[in-house]
Amino acid sequence: MRKLGLNLLVLCVVTSSALALAACGDSDSKEGGTLTGSYASFPDYLDPGLSYTQEGWTAMYNTYLPLLTYAHANGAAGGEVVPALAEDLPEIGNGGKTYTLRLRKGLKYSDGSPVKASDFTSSIERLFKLNSPGSGFYTGIVGAEKFAETKTGGIPGIKTNDRTGEIVIDLTAPRGTFSNELGMLFAALLPSGTPAKNLSSDPPPATGPYEIVKSEAGRGWSYTRNPVWAKNNGPLMPDLEAGNYDKIEISVVRNDSTQVNEIEQDQTDWMQTPPPADRYAEVKDKYEETQFRVENPINLYYFWMDVNRPPFDDLKVRQAVNHAVDSAALERIYSGALSATHQILPEGMPGHETFDLYPHDMAKAKELLAEANPADTEITVWTDNESPNDEAGAYYHSVLQELGFDATLKTINADVYIPTIGNVSTPDLDTGWINWYPDYPNPSNFFEPLLSGEGIVPTNNVNFARIDEPKLNEKIARLGEEPLGPEQEAEYAELDREFMDLAPWVPYGTFTVSTFVDSEIDLDSVIFNPTFGHDLASFQPK
Amino acid sequence: MPSEPNAEAGPAGSSPWRLALRQLRRNRVALAFGGLLILIAIFVLAAPLWAEHVADTGPNETHTLEKIDVDGEKREVVNVEGRPIGPVWLGAGGKYFLGADGRLGRDEMVRLMYGGRASLFVGFASALMATVLATILALLAGYYRGWVDTVISRTMDVIWAFPVLLLGIALGIALALGGLKIGPVEIPSGSIWITILIIGGVLVPYTARPLRGTVLALREKEFVEASVAQGAGPLRVMFGELLPNLASTIIVFFTLAVANAMLFEAALSFLGVGVQPPDTSWGAMVGDGFDLIGSAPLLTILPGTMIFLTVLSVNVLGDGLRDALDPRSKVRLEAHAGIAEPEGTAV
Repeated sequence: MRKLGLNLLVLCVVTSSALALAACGDSDSKEGGTLTGSYASFPDYLDPGLSYTQEGWTAMYNTYLPLLTYAHANGAAGGEVVPALAEDLPEIGNGGKTYTLRLRKGLKYSDGSPVKASDFTSSIERLFKLNSPGSGFYTGIVGAEKFAETKTGGIPGIKTNDRTGEIVIDLTAPRGTFSNELGMLFAALLPSGTPAKNLSSDPPPATGPYEIVKSEAGRGWSYTRNPVWAKNNGPLMPDLEAGNYDKIEISVVRNDSTQVNEIEQDQTDWMQTPPPADRYAEVKDKYEETQFRVENPINLYYFWMDVNRPPFDDLKVRQAVNHAVDSAALERIYSGALSATHQILPEGMPGHETFDLYPHDMAKAKELLAEANPADTEITVWTDNESPNDEAGAYYHSVLQELGFDATLKTINADVYIPTIGNVSTPDLDTGWINWYPDYPNPSNFFEPLLSGEGIVPTNNVNFARIDEPKLNEKIARLGEEPLGPEQEAEYAELDREFMDLAPWVPYGTFTVSTFVDSEIDLDSVIFNPTFGHDLASFQPK
Repeated sequence: MPSEPNAEAGPAGSSPWRLALRQLRRNRVALAFGGLLILIAIFVLAAPLWAEHVADTGPNETHTLEKIDVDGEKREVVNVEGRPIGPVWLGAGGKYFLGADGRLGRDEMVRLMYGGRASLFVGFASALMATVLATILALLAGYYRGWVDTVISRTMDVIWAFPVLLLGIALGIALALGGLKIGPVEIPSGSIWITILIIGGVLVPYTARPLRGTVLALREKEFVEASVAQGAGPLRVMFGELLPNLASTIIVFFTLAVANAMLFEAALSFLGVGVQPPDTSWGAMVGDGFDLIGSAPLLTILPGTMIFLTVLSVNVLGDGLRDALDPRSKVRLEAHAGIAEPEGTAV
């Protein structure tokens, strides 16, 4: 009896020690609690079928999963397409025209209903029914164009088997970027029968580690853990982060200086937008390495010149302008948030090989211009009215005036700027400012829409230089059909030089963004994916 | 100073204008602000002289990467973080007297002077346009009455019914791209005349309606009946008899319109639909400086102060003119001064 008592005592001590250790273990894993964040404005949509901004994609990166996704990693590694709801990457057959994927077995939506292969079909059909801005990525599926017009009869190019989870997609032509497009948020699976209407105020059930439980347009939204993640979806997708907080609450704080103050006072853990230009340097000086980090998303800021209109129809004039623009000045105009570049493919984009054919040299620029001796020097320079792009446009205008052009600056409201300069009938489209944020990290997404002659359309044109070089068009089309590999990357690098030889643009930099967190967040834990932005599941308390 | 009994009546034989001038001279506050307005006008008119002989730069020339010698020390006009140099007063021989205007490194003093030209020009030109149009419409409506009055008054009501700033913004955006074409007259987009036309057009009802009321009252006076009896035609009655009697009211409303037009221009330019870049005005400068209000508050405060002083000067001078020109006037300026005020009550 005494021995039993001693044994019981030992058992109690061991058990309580084990419980204490377990409790310590819980503490070390740093789970639970609430992550708070602020956005400067409400995202365009909180509906995966409609959102076409990085703000929206950041908000839904961990809620709505497509068959494939982008690795939850920083920098170039974050550009890798990896399986999400699909078991593996697609098998590509039939000369690049058939993609076969298999849905992981046992997946559930946050409402407990099973994820079915046929949900992929209904989710893609929903895009067309919604006239989603993302529907264009999937018109290459056999029968999709007809469905886009009729909205009935289904898309015959998608065949699914709910029993086996097999999904077969037939394309009308090979498309080397289709895996990238399957990884876009637009292709996230939603339950069949999800209404074809904007669900931002009542977001549909999720498949990722978090679900959106409350959404108030203009004010904010909040997440809780997806109830089926821990026991069901998480173990089936072990590569995806479960997240370290039980709740995430995002509020809209329109004044970005207030956002900074709230982080400094530890009232908010994170802000989605960079600190305002006015306070950028102050925040960077004070918090770099501890609470602040500069991120390099993939984008390009550049000035375009219409190669068909005088004086920019002369190569020497375009080269002169390239020599005249000084990226160092533009870096200051962007308050140090610009990383200078002078080529088409920015750093971080596959195929990027650094070069600069036109280093800043005003004397050389004037010499080239004197050789060209353009008869028509009356030009119009276009820019939008958002700071600091308006200042970049004003700087470019002053450079062109210094070169001797009779330049008129036209500053257009940012809301209508792109449709205006993308409309061929707009008069005096000589040259101007623009930027490009690719939809996914594939160089084709630069060359095909922006520099291929086949991309020139009367309205919504984005080939602003209106360059149409048949040999380069062919190369763009051929590379666009091939999946991206080392060979293709080398060819894209060559294409970059070939286009810069023709100087249709003056590329000047990549706009950096930043991560700014309060003192309670471990900055090193935060992942910034170049396509989706901040990965909320990666945030950890210190 | 001894008081003068019956000073308003003045000595026998003085013309009303001479009496008004005498009255104005006695109003020291109005004179002080009139003097301030003249100083502001001299300040902005001197812009080319300052730009050429002191600052050695134009209002739109950028100097982002330049360095200047301030009291023997080389300083960047814009530092690597995009922060502009602050006021150096006379440390660089007058260059960057008030610092740089922002990340483009333009001379703030030069921009302030040129911006003032634009603000004053828009203010006076649109007020002039509004006053001329309003006077013509008021004369037509008040003289002819009947359906002419109905058409003009209802049109004024329609314009008045729009929130004035929204109407200005809508017109500004609509005309920003294609400019304005009325028959053979073509105004290119971005021209300062677009802003003048918008403001002038929008302000017409605010002057036309009270003037119409005055014309309706004058129309019944004996001197008008006498003129008609002598065979004067409508044009002669309107412009020969009624208009001279409206002069004092018109002058008062003109000064108010100048102040309102300047404020309106500032609001439109702040919102990006007024004076178009790279040209500037004080309102546009407030908008540009707002971006850097934390680190360089002077960029907002300086043009804002200039707007405040100029509008105050014009208003006080306008009050003085009203008192001088029509001391018995029943015009309640407060009712017409505020754009938000729905109805004028001039007689």
